[in-house]
Amino acid sequence: MLEARAFEPEYLRKLDRLVLGIKRARTVRTGQRALGRVQGLGIEPENFKEYAPGDDLRFLDWNAFARLDELMLRTYRADRQVEVTALVDASASMGLPAHDDKLGLALAIGASLAYIGMADNDAVRIGAFAMHRGSMKLEATPFHRRRESYLNFKPFVTSVRAGGETRLGNAVDELLLQRRPAGTVVVISDFLVSEGDVEDALKRLIAARHDVKVIHVMGEQESSGSYPPGLYRIRDAETGEVRETILGPAAVGALRHKVERIAARIREICTTHAINYAQAFGAGNLESFMERELPLLGIVR
Amino acid sequence: MGLLNRENFIYGLSLALLVLIYLRSRSRPTIEVSSLMLFDEAPAPVASVRNVRLDPLFWLEVATLGALTFAIAGLYVMRPPAPGQGRSHALVFDLGAGMSAHDGTGTRIDLARQQATEIIDQAPAGDEFSVIAYALEAQVRHPQTANRADLRSALAELVPMAVPARTAALRAALIRAHGASEIDLFADRPPAPAILADAGSAARINFHLVGSGDSNLAIVSLDPGIPGSTRGRAVIRNFSTRPHLAELAIDLDGSGQYHQTMMLAPREQVLVSFGPLKTGGLLHARILNADAIDADNSRYAYAPSEVAASVLVLSPDAAVRDDLARVLLAVNANFQIETADPAKYVAPSGPDAKPLELAVMHDCYVPAVKVASTLLIYPPDGTKNGIGVSVDGTVARADIRGDATGESRALNSLALGDTRVVAIPEWMDLIATATAPGHPSIPIAGIGRAAGGAAGVLAFDVRDHLLLAPDHLDALVLTVDLMKQLTAPRDIVVVPTGADVSVAATGSARVTQPDGSVRTVTADKWGRVRIRPMQAGRYTVESGAATTQVLANYYDASESDLAAKPQAEAIAPAERRAATSNQQSAKQVQPLTFILIALALLALAIESAMLIGHAGRWGMRHV
Repeated sequence: MLEARAFEPEYLRKLDRLVLGIKRARTVRTGQRALGRVQGLGIEPENFKEYAPGDDLRFLDWNAFARLDELMLRTYRADRQVEVTALVDASASMGLPAHDDKLGLALAIGASLAYIGMADNDAVRIGAFAMHRGSMKLEATPFHRRRESYLNFKPFVTSVRAGGETRLGNAVDELLLQRRPAGTVVVISDFLVSEGDVEDALKRLIAARHDVKVIHVMGEQESSGSYPPGLYRIRDAETGEVRETILGPAAVGALRHKVERIAARIREICTTHAINYAQAFGAGNLESFMERELPLLGIVR
Repeated sequence: MGLLNRENFIYGLSLALLVLIYLRSRSRPTIEVSSLMLFDEAPAPVASVRNVRLDPLFWLEVATLGALTFAIAGLYVMRPPAPGQGRSHALVFDLGAGMSAHDGTGTRIDLARQQATEIIDQAPAGDEFSVIAYALEAQVRHPQTANRADLRSALAELVPMAVPARTAALRAALIRAHGASEIDLFADRPPAPAILADAGSAARINFHLVGSGDSNLAIVSLDPGIPGSTRGRAVIRNFSTRPHLAELAIDLDGSGQYHQTMMLAPREQVLVSFGPLKTGGLLHARILNADAIDADNSRYAYAPSEVAASVLVLSPDAAVRDDLARVLLAVNANFQIETADPAKYVAPSGPDAKPLELAVMHDCYVPAVKVASTLLIYPPDGTKNGIGVSVDGTVARADIRGDATGESRALNSLALGDTRVVAIPEWMDLIATATAPGHPSIPIAGIGRAAGGAAGVLAFDVRDHLLLAPDHLDALVLTVDLMKQLTAPRDIVVVPTGADVSVAATGSARVTQPDGSVRTVTADKWGRVRIRPMQAGRYTVESGAATTQVLANYYDASESDLAAKPQAEAIAPAERRAATSNQQSAKQVQPLTFILIALALLALAIESAMLIGHAGRWGMRHV
């Protein structure tokens, strides 16, 4: 399946030159006590400033004091470590149409982003969510930072199977309950749910100060509407609802129009909330998507 | 409107099968999609909830199967007959002895005849009638005809017989009337509703109850006793619900032996003793006063001669010889019985040798014995004796199944011991048969008269005191019956009415019946004529210089009992049915079978034409 492609050395070599385009945390000026806030205890010097009462004396630059006879504090760039979570939709809709391998594409993209994130030693994990029998099932790997441990993602990525309902809001709730520091969350889904649910979930992530990125995956067949013509009974993979329809030229146009409308609406929601949005339509476009589309959209640089 | 064969309506399940076929062949494939949301704008079929494509071909196939189902189930309508098309009637008459009962001015058959004549006279000109009668058997007296004169003539020829009307005969009569649209049944008592229901006829059955009186006396039995020894007995029965006067006269060969008038209480049965008779001869008992049925007012019996007759009993078993001698003495105390072991028996010869009346041979056959009648009991295996009875083995057990004439009392199932598998000659009459392992039917009793004399055969062994065992009474009855018949005088035969009688004759015989009519009967190849007396009384068979008297007795408790009321539940349905039939008698059954089949064929033709049209339009050889 396509997710295995994300662990092939040849493919990974192409990702080596990419960097995750994430918003780094703001520089925290050291020496100023602020209870409850994480001090920017980086190792990269940023600037000097005159000592002010209350500053942390540990950051006094004694050499400068010897030369200039002034109390100077050395400031550092805050630690660049950001927690990156690739949140993959593993609902039943991601498994259909079967030969489109939407889930494989989503997992491959999630793993690729994790690999890219590891280039900066960011803490990266991959999670998959779906609603099973009324309860949200959010499974995620531990955080890994070094590329040497990238292959630790492989058992999880290759074991994810599509099933259950898409409940993005519940998945976000589950994620936020883990009370992790604000980081970057990349949501990868087909977003075949109500627009309100999508917008609500994304807004809650943003409210939790996460840097949110959205990758919209769709299969080649369902995005083009290329079903064989005829009379069919169609069954929703997640709800089991059945409907009768006529598939033909008219249906192809209607399907394409519907997909375009859904994509436009998701894009509009993302634009409204300053979220990076990218489309990955068709499993055959993984490499070009990673190398060309994502840099253009600023998700990677 | 209705169905002649409702059970065939099960073929209507073919319609359900058709729908299943359509569901199977024309249901739409189901595909699973990621979300129905994508298909919100896709066009939906017009008939979104139907799985069966109800096109004209479907409806034509439904019409075909429906029409064929109704045709098989026998759909019919009731409609008045078309002008010029007559209805068919069947006039069914009970000719049992009860129909000869006098009611007022005439007999019951006269009343039935009068009612039938009125029906014929009131029917439209095109209507056809058949005349069917039943008593012991059913008989079509006149086939369907619209000729009124022929019908009246056929009705006039209906004469009640001195036999009971059998239920099986009524069933047979209704079966023979099956083709009629209306059946008029004339009887003196209502038939059981089950019989009418079992008739299975679509015709309406109108039941006509004729007769109402119950004043009847009957001679139930007549026993002459043993001349010079025991008293004779006669049993008189009053079937009426009122007291009845009975004047009884008993004659022996024309000389009066008993004459008494007595008053019988309602439903009373009286035993009258007379004698003992001084000599043997033909005994005739009569009820002289008038009552409803004449046939049961006269009864004959033959009193055996007091002259000592010689009987020879041969058996290798001494106990059997003793048993048979006892039975013979019970049949006729005047018999002089000689018993012997066949291995030691030497037939007397010369002028001093007495003529033998009867020889009873058990498990042996001695051809040297010159005798008038022979009774073979358990004839030896593997031999073919001079009588013509061949033996083809022995079975260890046999069950008496029933009798051949229907008049013997040996009717109940009875397990016998060793029994020979015999084949009786054609001139013998089969009295009783039995079943045995590997033998569905073997004869066990037979009797006949040929030129060489009378002969009887009993196939079962009578060792171990079989004839004296209380559990084997039927075997004793069979034995006594054969002994009586074999020792009876040749010129006098007393039989019940309805029984077949064989009388020795040469060439042809002249038979004079009780009503004085005469007919000529030709003897068969064994030199006998067979008659079946259906009237009570004296039949005279004259052949050459020989004259034989056949005396027929009639008595049947159920037929003679005119006071027996039918059960309420039995009469009510019959009357209801009659009432219903009267309302609808103006209509007749019109089956729609041919119309339905024509509709089915038409639907098939239209479907074929449509399929050919489709094939031509699509450029295919077939669809």
